[in-house]
Amino acid sequence: MSSVLSRHATDAALDNDPALRVRKKRWRRPSVLALITLAYIAWSLLPVVIAVLFSFNSGRSRTEWTGFSLRWYFTDPERSVWHDPSMHTALIHTMRLGIIVTVITIPLGVLLALGLDRWRGRLPQGVSFLVLMSFVLPEVLLAVALLFVATTLNTPMQLGMVGQVLALVTFQLSYPVIIVRGRMLAIGPQYEQAAVDLGASRWGAVWRVLIPMLMPAIFASTVLVFADVIDNFVLVRYLSGDASTEPVSVKIYNTARAAPTPALNALATLVLIASLLVVTLGFVAYKWFSRGEKGVGVQSFAAEL
Amino acid sequence: MYVVLAILFGQIDPVLRKPVPVWNPVDWNTIQFRYVLSHIFGEQGYFGPALVRTAVYVLVASTICLVISYPVAYYVARYAGRWQGLLLVVLIAPFWISYMMRMLAWINLLQNDGLVNEVLGFFNDAWRVDWLSGHATTVILGLAYGYVPYMILPLFAGLDRIPQSALEASRDLGASRFETFRRVTLRLSLPAMVTAVLLTCLPMLGDYFTTDLLAATPGTSMVGNLINNAVLTPGQTGQAAAFVLIVTVVSIVPMLAYVWVSRDREGVAT
Amino acid sequence: MAGNPDALGRDIVAGSPLRRRLRISRRSFLRGLSATIAVPATAQLLAACGDQLYTSGNLVLASPDHPVKWPLSTKVPMIEPGLTPEPGSTLKIYNYADYIGPGVIKAFTKLYDVKVTVSTFNDTDEALTKIASGAVDFDLHFPSYDQIGKMVAGDLLRPLTHEYITNIDNLWPQFKNPWYDQGWQYSVPYTVYNTGIGWRNDLIDFDVSALDNPYDVFWDPANRGKCAVIDDWHTTMSMVLLRNGIRDVNSGRVADLEVIRRDLKAMSEATDPRVTITMYNDLPAGQYSIAMMWGGDAVNAQYYLPKGVPAEVLSYWWAEDGLGLVDNDLMVLPAGGENPVAAHFFINHMLDAAMASRNFGYIGYQPPQNSISPESVVADGYMTEGLVAAAVRPDDFETSPRLLELDPVVDAEWHNIWQEYKASG
Repeated sequence: MSSVLSRHATDAALDNDPALRVRKKRWRRPSVLALITLAYIAWSLLPVVIAVLFSFNSGRSRTEWTGFSLRWYFTDPERSVWHDPSMHTALIHTMRLGIIVTVITIPLGVLLALGLDRWRGRLPQGVSFLVLMSFVLPEVLLAVALLFVATTLNTPMQLGMVGQVLALVTFQLSYPVIIVRGRMLAIGPQYEQAAVDLGASRWGAVWRVLIPMLMPAIFASTVLVFADVIDNFVLVRYLSGDASTEPVSVKIYNTARAAPTPALNALATLVLIASLLVVTLGFVAYKWFSRGEKGVGVQSFAAEL
Repeated sequence: MYVVLAILFGQIDPVLRKPVPVWNPVDWNTIQFRYVLSHIFGEQGYFGPALVRTAVYVLVASTICLVISYPVAYYVARYAGRWQGLLLVVLIAPFWISYMMRMLAWINLLQNDGLVNEVLGFFNDAWRVDWLSGHATTVILGLAYGYVPYMILPLFAGLDRIPQSALEASRDLGASRFETFRRVTLRLSLPAMVTAVLLTCLPMLGDYFTTDLLAATPGTSMVGNLINNAVLTPGQTGQAAAFVLIVTVVSIVPMLAYVWVSRDREGVAT
Repeated sequence: MAGNPDALGRDIVAGSPLRRRLRISRRSFLRGLSATIAVPATAQLLAACGDQLYTSGNLVLASPDHPVKWPLSTKVPMIEPGLTPEPGSTLKIYNYADYIGPGVIKAFTKLYDVKVTVSTFNDTDEALTKIASGAVDFDLHFPSYDQIGKMVAGDLLRPLTHEYITNIDNLWPQFKNPWYDQGWQYSVPYTVYNTGIGWRNDLIDFDVSALDNPYDVFWDPANRGKCAVIDDWHTTMSMVLLRNGIRDVNSGRVADLEVIRRDLKAMSEATDPRVTITMYNDLPAGQYSIAMMWGGDAVNAQYYLPKGVPAEVLSYWWAEDGLGLVDNDLMVLPAGGENPVAAHFFINHMLDAAMASRNFGYIGYQPPQNSISPESVVADGYMTEGLVAAAVRPDDFETSPRLLELDPVVDAEWHNIWQEYKASG
C-alpha cells in the first residue's frame, strides 16, 4: 500500500519538475506491454461474456445466435432455470453452502489467527504450515481423504450437507487466517497495549480495539470465502449425497458432459451475478470500515486479497 | 477448532484406512498398493505415461501462465497509473467467475460449429480443428486459462513492492532499461515468481475436470483422472489412495523447500 | 488370511505374463512387508485344459445357463401390501443423466402428489460405491443386471412386494421369470438395448455396416479424432473380444484378457477415441462422426440434432450374428430408501403401457412392452429407417452375448485393465 502511494507521489513530482522530465522519459510506458495486458484482459473475459450472452439465446443452440429471449431463465416451461427443479435446487444449495460455510469459517478463522498470533511454540507453527498446505495442495487430495472418512468411518462427517460444510470449512479456513494475520502483523501490538494501559481489560482491548481495526481484513476474507465456496467443485462433488446436495458447479460439470442447453449458461450467469454482488457489497463494507485511513481504494482491497 | 485440526491432520490418516466392501476380501488393498507401485515404472508401467503427461502438462501450462502474467502484472504494477484500480478489478474478475463457468465458456467456443472455428474457417476452411476430440493443446490451454489468475495476483503484489528508488538508482548508475529489468526487477521479483508458480502448479497437479471437459480421451488423462476413476470403482479405492499418497508427497516436497528457503528471508510469505 | 506367496506362485504356469508381474512385485515388496501383505486366500489361478482362469468362487453368479433364485434378504424386509404413498413425500431416484422422461415423472407427481428428485451417476460402479457406503438414501435405482448378485449379497436391496406391481403382465413373458432374478424378487426390467456403432453418414464417406468387420473402425488410423467409445469398462472391453470373434464377453481366461489389454492399447494408438457416455448429444452435434453406442442413444440422438439437420444423417449398426451385445437395465429398490411404497407405485407407473411408450419417446430406449412392436418402430415414428437396427426383438436375447456379473477376482482384473487403458492411452 505505502509503495503505491509513494510511487504516485514520485510520479507527480516528476511531472511538476521540468528538470526531471528527462528522467521521466526513461520510464515511458512501453506500448507492447499495454497491448499484452489488453489482449490478456480480452482473452480472460471475452469467453465468459459470450457465454453469458448465449444464456439469452432464444434458440436451443449455444453456438448459434437466434435472438434475445429470457426463455432459459423463466419462460420455458420445462427446461428453464425457474422451472427445472434440478436447476433451482442446485442454485439454492449453492447459496446455502456459501452462507453457512462463510458464517462458520470467518469467526473460526479470526480466532485461529488471533491464537496463532499470540501463542508461540511448535504447535502453532505446525498449524500455520498446515493452513498454508491446505491452501496450495491439490484439492482432490483432501476431497478423497474426506470421502474415505465419510464412507468408511462412522462419524458425523457424512456425505451430503454436513460433509460438504465440514470439508469446505477445513479448506477455506486458510483464507481468513492468512489475511487476518497479515493485517495483524501490519497493525502491530501497540494499539492494544495502549488500550490496556488506559484501563481496558485484555478481552476488552481485543474486542473494542483490535477487532474493529481488523474489520477490513475480515470483510475481505468474507468475500473471498463466499466467492470461493460457491465456485468450489472438487470437494462438494465428492461429498455430495444426492441431487439435493449437488450445487451449481457440479450441475455444470455433469450437464456440460451430457446435453447442455443455454439454461446451463443461465444458471452459471446467476451464480456469477451473486458472486459479483457479494464482492461489491464486500468492497463497500470494506471502504466503510476503513474510512479514516488514507488512500483506501480498489488497490488496497486487492492487496488484502 | 479441534475438529478442524483433527480433519486437517486426518488428511493422511484415512489414506491408509481402506473401505472394505462386503463382497471383497479384507486384504484387498495391500495388493492394490503394490499393484500401483509396480505399474508406474518398467515394462508393466501402465501408469507411468499418465504421470509423465501430468508433469509435462503442468510445466507447459505454468510456463504459459508465467509468460502471459509477468508482462501483465509488470505493466499494471508499474505503468498503469490512474488506471491501476480499474485494471486490478478486471484482473481479479476471473477469480469471482466460477471455474466451471469459464470452462463451459470455452466448450461453447471450441465446439465444431463454435466461434473459434467460425473465425478460423472464415480465413481458410482447412484451419478448422476438432478442438474437443482429445488434443493435448486444448487441455494445456484450458489449464493455463483456468489457473492464470492465481499467477497474476501474487506476481502483481511482488512487483508492486519493488521500490521505484531502487530502479532509479540502477538507471542513475548507468544501467540500461533492459539491464535494470534483468538485474534489479527480475531479481527482486524472484520470490514472488516462485510463490506464483507454486500457487498454480500444485493445484494443477490434482486437476481432472479440465481434461474431462475439454478432451476426455485416455490420451490426455492426468493423475487426477486416475484418482477420480479409481476412487469410485469398487475394489480400486486402494489404487486411488496410492495415487493420492504419491501426489501428496510430490507436492509437499516443494512446499517444504519453499518454506525452508523463505524462512531465512522474511518468514512465511503469503 | 495368511497369504502364502509360494503357493500362489506354483499355481501359475511358467512364462505367463501374469507370473512375471507377480514376481516383480514379490521381489520388490515381499521382503519388507511379508508380514502385512496378504494375498486373498481364495484367489487362485486354475489351470484347466490349458486355459488359465482367474477365479475366487465366493460370489453366486447368475447367467442364462445358470438361473438364480436369490434368497430373500433377512435384514431388509418386504413392505406390507395395500399401503398408499404418503402425499407430499419425496421419492429419490438414482439414474443415468437423461435416462428418464420428465413428463413421466410429472405425471406421477400429479397422480400421487409425491415429489420426485432425480440424482445422476456417470457409471454403475460409481452408483454402487455410493449406495454401498450407506451414506445415501435413494428409493429407486436403475442398474444393469450385472450388479444384482453383489447387491443382494450385501443386503443392499429390498425385495419387491408383487401386489403393487400389477402391470408386470405388460412385459415380454421372458421377463416374468428372468434368469438373473428368478421370480423377479428384487428387480423389474426397465429397458432393453443392444450395443453397436452409430455414425454420421454425412460426415464420413463409407458405410460402417458394409465393412467386413465394422468394429475395425476404431482401429483404423484414418479415423483418428473422429471416434468415441462408451465409458463403461465391460461394454467397451467386450467390444474388443467381439471384434476378435470371441463370444464369451465375460471371460476369465488369462489369454482373453491379454487380447483385450493388447487391443485397447492398439486402439488408443490408432484412433485415440473419446471415452464418454454422451454420444446421444455429441454425435448429432458433430463432435465426432463414429461412436460405439447403445442403440437407445442412437435413437435418442435424433432429438439432439441441430436445427436443419435431418434425422436421416444418423446410421446405426448392430451385429445380429451373435457378435453384438444385447442387455437390459433394471429398476430396483435400494435398502436405504425411505419411501419404498412410493417406489413400488413408481415402478408400476413405469410399466404402464402408455407411460412406457411416452418414456421411450423421450429417452430412446425401448421398454420390453408387449404393446411396442419391434417390427413397427419406424412406422410408429420412434426412429428412422437408418436406426432400425437399434430395435430389440425378444428372441435377440436367445442368440446374443450379454454382460454378466463377474467373479470378484476376474472383475478386478477387468477393472485393472480398464484403468490401465484410461491411464496410458
